[in-house]
Amino acid sequence: MIDFENVSKTYPNGTHALNNVSLHIDRGEFVFIVGASGAGKSTFLKLIMREEIATSGEIIINGNKLSRLKKRDVPYLRRHMGIVFQDFRLIDKMNVFDNVAFAMRAVGESSAAVKKRVPYVLDLVGLKDKMKDKPSELSGGEQQRVSLARALVNNPEIIIADEPTGNIDPELSHEILELLTQINSMGTTVLVVTHEHELVREFNQRVITIDKGKVISDSAEEMVDLSYGYDEGYAETYAEAPAPAPAQPDADVDISSFSAAPAEEPAGEEEPYDAGEQPQYPDNVVIIPD
Amino acid sequence: MKGFGYLVKEGFKNIYTNRIMTIASICVLVSCLVLTGAAALFSVNVTAIVSEVEKNNETTVYILRDRGEIEAKQIGSQIEAIDNVESAVFVSKSEAVEQYKQTLGEQLFDRIKDKDPLNDAYRVVIKDLEKYDDTVKQIKAIDGVESINDRREFAQKLSTISNLVNLISIAVVAALIIISLFIIANTIRATMYSRRFEISIMKSVGATNMFVRMPFLVEGMVIGIISAALSTGAVALLYEAVKRVITEAAGSWITVLPFSQMVVPLAISFLVAGILVGFFGGFISIRKYLKKEGNEILGW
Repeated sequence: MIDFENVSKTYPNGTHALNNVSLHIDRGEFVFIVGASGAGKSTFLKLIMREEIATSGEIIINGNKLSRLKKRDVPYLRRHMGIVFQDFRLIDKMNVFDNVAFAMRAVGESSAAVKKRVPYVLDLVGLKDKMKDKPSELSGGEQQRVSLARALVNNPEIIIADEPTGNIDPELSHEILELLTQINSMGTTVLVVTHEHELVREFNQRVITIDKGKVISDSAEEMVDLSYGYDEGYAETYAEAPAPAPAQPDADVDISSFSAAPAEEPAGEEEPYDAGEQPQYPDNVVIIPD
Repeated sequence: MKGFGYLVKEGFKNIYTNRIMTIASICVLVSCLVLTGAAALFSVNVTAIVSEVEKNNETTVYILRDRGEIEAKQIGSQIEAIDNVESAVFVSKSEAVEQYKQTLGEQLFDRIKDKDPLNDAYRVVIKDLEKYDDTVKQIKAIDGVESINDRREFAQKLSTISNLVNLISIAVVAALIIISLFIIANTIRATMYSRRFEISIMKSVGATNMFVRMPFLVEGMVIGIISAALSTGAVALLYEAVKRVITEAAGSWITVLPFSQMVVPLAISFLVAGILVGFFGGFISIRKYLKKEGNEILGW
């Protein structure tokens, strides 16, 4: 699904953000990306979203080499991703419904599709009753759930959450990660960048630790490179993290209320980006059409 | 394009949100279009007058006042004797008075009649207009000829003024177009700044550049269309007012073209110019934004 092959990124000001990073993330995996401030986590996400281009090496998503992706095709790549921001990035003047609908409208979905899909996704994140509320009337946890609904509404294959719990209370952080786990259990690949060690330990998923632009540990490979000095003890914390969770649904999670609707592609639009295989959903997932 | 209606609606929303800047843009664009239109209409009228004068090969030759009717007839014979003169019709002072009465009205005429401004004259029709200047010289050389009403000279003066006005207009309009573009681009940039969150979200979910751009282009074009409509109205009012003044002052001597004859091409030109300026204003300002990604759009 996502492959980094000897990827390095140096910014024009000379900062070496990533240095010869190689890793593989499978479809349906749940991965925590951890590391100190300035370690290179944001650059890692920006490269996946094609906001930045690798200085050397190759990034392959769904078999598509990003270095060869034309600029005009970048939007089509992004339609396979849902982004959750630390600061929610909700539009204050819009109510909850419109904030989520905005993501659908931005890719040219019809208003009929919007009216059908948005209430459904808001129901998934438990906010159906707050559709008409403004973001300022919601708690931090609720705002983040709106942000998550917006990321989900276009049925992405990958959810990228950049510090999703950074601006909310610890008890609500658990709730957000629980939601992300449920989404992952339906086959969606989830990447979470976080600082919260406790949460990472609690959720027992694959952990990739980045420090000074290098992957210094990856629980999937049980690899630790202790020759690197790092400040906040990430390697010590995660070097012996449990083996990565399988890309299968968590049997304990009640997913009956979740949609595994297949990724929609706007009809009639050119789709130069090759989506590859769609997520494989388990038998106990109820597929509710849009 | 899917969602076109939504994009157009967003464009109109932008206009309302930034109404002060929108009004400023419209005012500048209207002044630009009105000036251009006024210059164009002036030029069209001057061209019509000049071509009318040039087509008209009739020239009035005034006889000195101290010459009697017999001498005047002799002068007429001399004029007719010139090769390039087709005919010379005598217009006596009293006939000229009657014509003036008709043109000026009794009241106005009464005020000037004591000054006895009129001469006996000949209306001379010239055969070959290419030899016009030589013929005029020959007529002027005849003893007893006071002056010649050379309308061609007037036409030439008018053309010179028209060319000057056109030159000044081009310079002023060029400056105003640049100012309009700048103000519209800034209006749209202000819209974009207030909507930078939306733009960054649109880009992150995979909106194409065309989709992001569309509401801003709609905003620019609507500014152009409104300006074109207002400019057409303003030019119509201005034109009718000037026409009234000229008609009162010059009577039937200068014919001002009716506005109805020019309104369609003028309105179409305004519309095209307004839309183009609005479109490019929007295009220029969003181009810079579209190159940015993620937090750069938010200025972080």
